[in-house]
This record gives sequence, C-alpha cells and structure tokens, in this order.
Amino acid sequence: MSTTVVETWTEEPLVRYVAQASARIVVVMTPAGQVLAQHGFTRAVDLMGASALGAAIMASSTALAQQVGETGFGALYHSGQKHGIHLAACQTPRGTLVVLTVFGKETSIGLVQLFHEEFVTALQRAAPVDQERKPILAADFESELNKSLTSLFRR
Amino acid sequence: MSLVNFTTREITCKIVYYGPGRSGKTTNLQYIYTQVPDDRKGRMVSLATQTDRTLFFDFLPIDLGSISGFTTKFQLYTVPGQVYYNATRKLVLQGADGVVFVADSQLRQLDENIESLQNLQANVLEHGIDVRTLPMVVQFNKQDLPRELILSPEELDDALNFRGHPTFPADALHGTGVFETLKAISAEVLRKLSEGAGAARRG
Repeated sequence: MSTTVVETWTEEPLVRYVAQASARIVVVMTPAGQVLAQHGFTRAVDLMGASALGAAIMASSTALAQQVGETGFGALYHSGQKHGIHLAACQTPRGTLVVLTVFGKETSIGLVQLFHEEFVTALQRAAPVDQERKPILAADFESELNKSLTSLFRR
Repeated sequence: MSLVNFTTREITCKIVYYGPGRSGKTTNLQYIYTQVPDDRKGRMVSLATQTDRTLFFDFLPIDLGSISGFTTKFQLYTVPGQVYYNATRKLVLQGADGVVFVADSQLRQLDENIESLQNLQANVLEHGIDVRTLPMVVQFNKQDLPRELILSPEELDDALNFRGHPTFPADALHGTGVFETLKAISAEVLRKLSEGAGAARRG
C-alpha cells in the first residue's frame, strides 16, 4: 500500500496512525477536499474522488448540525459488510482538516477512535503555523498548458 | 484554494461549473469525461436525484499533465442549479480556484441567468472572497437552438458579462465550446497561481 504526502509534516503522524489503527485507507484533506496526505490509494484521480466525497459528507453534516443548533458533529461512523469508515474534522495550526479512515475486519471502530485521537494530537503538534509563498509557474506556462490540454482532448 | 506540493511538484486546482438549473453544467462534465483518455481521468461522481437533476454535485478529476515542471490536476465540480439548493451550492463553492458560469442562451431563461449570477456573487462573498478577484469565464450554452429562441453571444455579453470575463458560445451536448471553455478557465486559474496569489494558502 502506498503512502503519499503533499505536506511533509503530515508523514510521520500518518504512518504511525495507519500502523497503530490497522487502517486500510487514510486521507487527510482540507474542508474543500484538497488532499494533504494519504495512505492506500495508488491512482491520484481515484484519491480525488474519495476526498471530494469525504469533504462533501463533512460539509453537509456540519451544515445540518448547524440547522439543529449544533456547531458541528465530532465524528461520523458508518459500518459496511467488509469495511467501516470514520470521518472527523480537527483544528490544527494549518487550519481545519478532515480525516477519512477506511478500515476492515482486522481492526475495530474502538481502536480507530482511540488512535485517531492520538493522530489528531500529533498533527496539531507537527503542523506549521504559516507557510512561505513561493513563485509557482514560469511566465511561459501557457504554451505548456495548451500542449497538455490538446493532448488531453486529442485534438 | 490550490494546493501546491513543492516536494513532488504537483498542483491541484478546484474549478466549479455554476449557473441556473438545466443550463448544461453536468453536460459539460459529461462531454469532458467522454473525451479524456482513461489514464488521465478518474471516475465521474454524480450525486443526482432519480430524475438525474444534480442534488449535491458532479465531480470529475482530470490530470492535465506537466506544466512548468508541475504535475497539474484539476478537480471539476458542478453545483445544483435549482434555486432551493443554495445551501449545497455554497458548500461546493468552498475553496474554488475558478468558476465557469454556464448561462442558458434561451431568451426565456435570461432572468434565471441574472439571478444565478447574483447568487454566485453573494455565495462567493460569504466565503470571504471578492468575486472580482476570482478567475471566471462565461459560457453561453445552447447556441445550437433555433435563432428565435435564443439570444446571440453579443446580446448575452451585454446582459450578463459586465465584468468583461472571457466568453464562449457553446453547444455542450455536442461538445462545441466545451474544450475552449475549459482551456480558458485553466489558463485563468494558473495565471493567478503564477502571480503567487493562490499559492500555499490555507484550505
């Protein structure tokens, strides 16, 4: 199973959480569905689909919570035949993050909840307060963009 | 906002297709899905009602390839256009790097287009973003319909495009203008990123 991190400070807490909780898939994302770190996906486009749905569930349940007078729900848990999912938001110096955990029969929701709490604490300790902005793309990026889009649409 | 990974040199951007109900937002994504090779796209997710009206959003991840040495991925979303789904529209707009406004060219839909544009402005503002700073392009869809039923691109430009965004006549059902629209919003979003305005923001 592959682990990839976009922001390196997430790596150590993620690797430890995956091992301790025996999770099959873990995605750490922003509330907008942008992935900071993940374990379990091999194709980036599949990962983006899962993160979009995870962020949407979190956003809609938070909106529903607000309608009934709550500030938000702490965590969501769904149990299936082969897999369970645990979805929760946490506050860090990097901003609000959403963690999606998918687990199988080799572990339990109790263990996931236990190690999730430790994971959140580790993320809060590791998160940088602010990040330096750097220049991103070369000035002539548009010619490369045109080539990429032309190849994407085969025309 | 855009996520930039300097270690693996990856950029991920979020583009939202916005507009009134039945203007063709989902059709745009469906056409893109049919044209993009399998190894450059993920599964298209549609959270729709039993009658195929968008309930929450449609989602299509695509891999644009390498641009300036960065592997560039775009997440394409649509919002539900129907007036009473505003709460979900607001959720989908969260963190958007750019917006494609899909207008319905039919004369009888002009008021719905204007109402949807105003709604976009209000919802973007609720996320603390000035709509004038948000990369945006406007697509005049359904230009294939009989002339007597629709407004011309010039008339629609006068009525809807008071901010001077790039505009594209389209027939999304058959693909006309879909590629040009995506290309334009991609360039707008990446141009803003190249200026450093969207880099390394909090999510």
